[in-house]
Amino acid sequence: MIFTTNIKSYMRIVLGFLLLSSLLLSFSGFALELSLEEEDDSIPITIMPISGKAGGIIEADLKRSGRLKIISSSKITGLSPFGGSIADINKYETITDYIVRGKPDINGGLQLELISTSDKAVTLYNISANAHLRRVAHKAADKIYEKITRIKGAFDTRLAYVTVTDKASDNRVFRLYIADSDGYKPQQVLSSHLPIMSPAWSPDASKLAYVSFEENNTSGIYIQNIFTGEKRKISAREGINGAPSWSPDGTRLAMSLSVSGNPEIYVINVKSGALTQITHSSAIDTEPVWNGSNMLVFTSNRGGTAQLYQANAGGGSVKRMSFDGRYNSAADIANKKMAYITGTRGAFHVAIKSINGSGKEILSNGRLDESPTISPNGAMVAYTTLRNGENTLAVVSDNARARQFLTSAAGDVREPAWSPYLDK
Amino acid sequence: MMNKSIALPLILCALTLGACSSQRQNDTGKGSVTSKINKGVKAGNNTKSGTVGKGGASSVNTSGSEGGKFNYLPGGNNKAGNTNDITLAGLSDPGNLLSQRIIYFDYDKAAIRPEYMVLINTHAKLLAKYPDLKMRLEGHADERGSREYNVALSESRSQSVKSIMGVQGASGGQIKTIGYGEEVPIVSGHSKNSWQKNRRVEIKYDNY
Repeated sequence: MIFTTNIKSYMRIVLGFLLLSSLLLSFSGFALELSLEEEDDSIPITIMPISGKAGGIIEADLKRSGRLKIISSSKITGLSPFGGSIADINKYETITDYIVRGKPDINGGLQLELISTSDKAVTLYNISANAHLRRVAHKAADKIYEKITRIKGAFDTRLAYVTVTDKASDNRVFRLYIADSDGYKPQQVLSSHLPIMSPAWSPDASKLAYVSFEENNTSGIYIQNIFTGEKRKISAREGINGAPSWSPDGTRLAMSLSVSGNPEIYVINVKSGALTQITHSSAIDTEPVWNGSNMLVFTSNRGGTAQLYQANAGGGSVKRMSFDGRYNSAADIANKKMAYITGTRGAFHVAIKSINGSGKEILSNGRLDESPTISPNGAMVAYTTLRNGENTLAVVSDNARARQFLTSAAGDVREPAWSPYLDK
Repeated sequence: MMNKSIALPLILCALTLGACSSQRQNDTGKGSVTSKINKGVKAGNNTKSGTVGKGGASSVNTSGSEGGKFNYLPGGNNKAGNTNDITLAGLSDPGNLLSQRIIYFDYDKAAIRPEYMVLINTHAKLLAKYPDLKMRLEGHADERGSREYNVALSESRSQSVKSIMGVQGASGGQIKTIGYGEEVPIVSGHSKNSWQKNRRVEIKYDNY
């Protein structure tokens, strides 16, 4: 079925914005708070009531995108339910651009119709059942989002993050969690009285690499399968073993080691353990991330303060990437976009730009924002920010219009890592 | 334990207020300590550096040190009246300089502030005297800047301390360095004062 839309421009035309809603939800130790700045070019969409919870989950996902705005289904009267006639759908055109009608199927899946009110085009989706019920709705939101924006949806993904309770006492406890990308369904992967840091997803989203000080109170890099719990030590060399990052094919990890006496970037073959040293400087080199299969972006203070540099993943010459701002660090790259921390006048914010350097935007306005991680479609960034004295997880759309805070009752939340797309 | 280690330099400083203020004058112009320290010791005027732990070397008169080497001078003007013998017993004597185990740093710097040279040298001499003695130098950073960068920065801080100890005759095998980054703060606040308390290297002796 051919489907055409008259998508309104995404150009960032500032037409005056409206603080539309602030929503608080409590669940599993997290409080969710969504604040939206919707501009006139946000695309209106209406989700008609669907039996069960799917409708609410789809609405929440689409709101978080910063590109669509939800028009209440109460404004649509006289429309027949899923499968019914759309002969006079045009009469809703002044209210909303899109209407979604849905129906749970007999197996626990979901059937959806995405209807354009302007041209009566209907797209039908059959979302198959999943053991994790919320994922059915996230997959539905992904389909709707992709059809309207032409950007692949990334709501059906996960976040890994670390929490710390009693952080300034000897009773502190570090916990590594994974949760759905909207913060629901948190599952603990690991806990320790010693630091846990820098979780990183394998490209198939089945494993996490992370740093733990659990052995002899010194740092080590471990890989853990999140389904089986199987755990492997990858590096516990003298000094720092830090900042693991998976190559796009999952065969190598880039990391920072100080085994030579100074923190340098290395690449290790996950299977064989073969180690390649990438940088050779007397400065700090750390936080490598992959830019494609052959390039690494990392943080170095070789120029005096922390800045971003690029090097070939096989070794070779190093090139500076960031020039504006006194402190630029902690890059994450997805879908040709790079998020990173930029420090100016004593404050640290999340910035995003295309990997070729164009279109820089500041996405956060906290004082000490940290640890940005990009969704696999490049359209959302999770990071941490101080709220009421605690590090809190925030998720912001790449146009900075929709921002969601996930406040944990269990102390600090830190170092989010956004998973790749999930296979199944 | 933790409270004690924060409070101690402050108490010592309070006990020897006069020494605290005169120490500042002594610090200025001791640029010659830079020579053998690979991270570079902050030279020259240091009067605006942090507010905590100023007492690190305050109870010891360093004005007589020759050639800028900051040699430890026993029996300085410590008004608590305790001995400053460099012995294992000194480790558990709250009046002895050896009971001071925290070295504080400037923001985003691994350079040793001149006022900590005496403290570091004193611990180094203890290591040199007791070759079986071992210590961990645990480096920390404040919460500003990215987390893995701070791990590296905090390890550099512990390496800076280790380098000086090496110059003073401690063996590298006696000293293990570690960088905890911003993960293990002493205080949880977000003020300048909290940040200064968290930017530190803690000296921890095995079995003492």
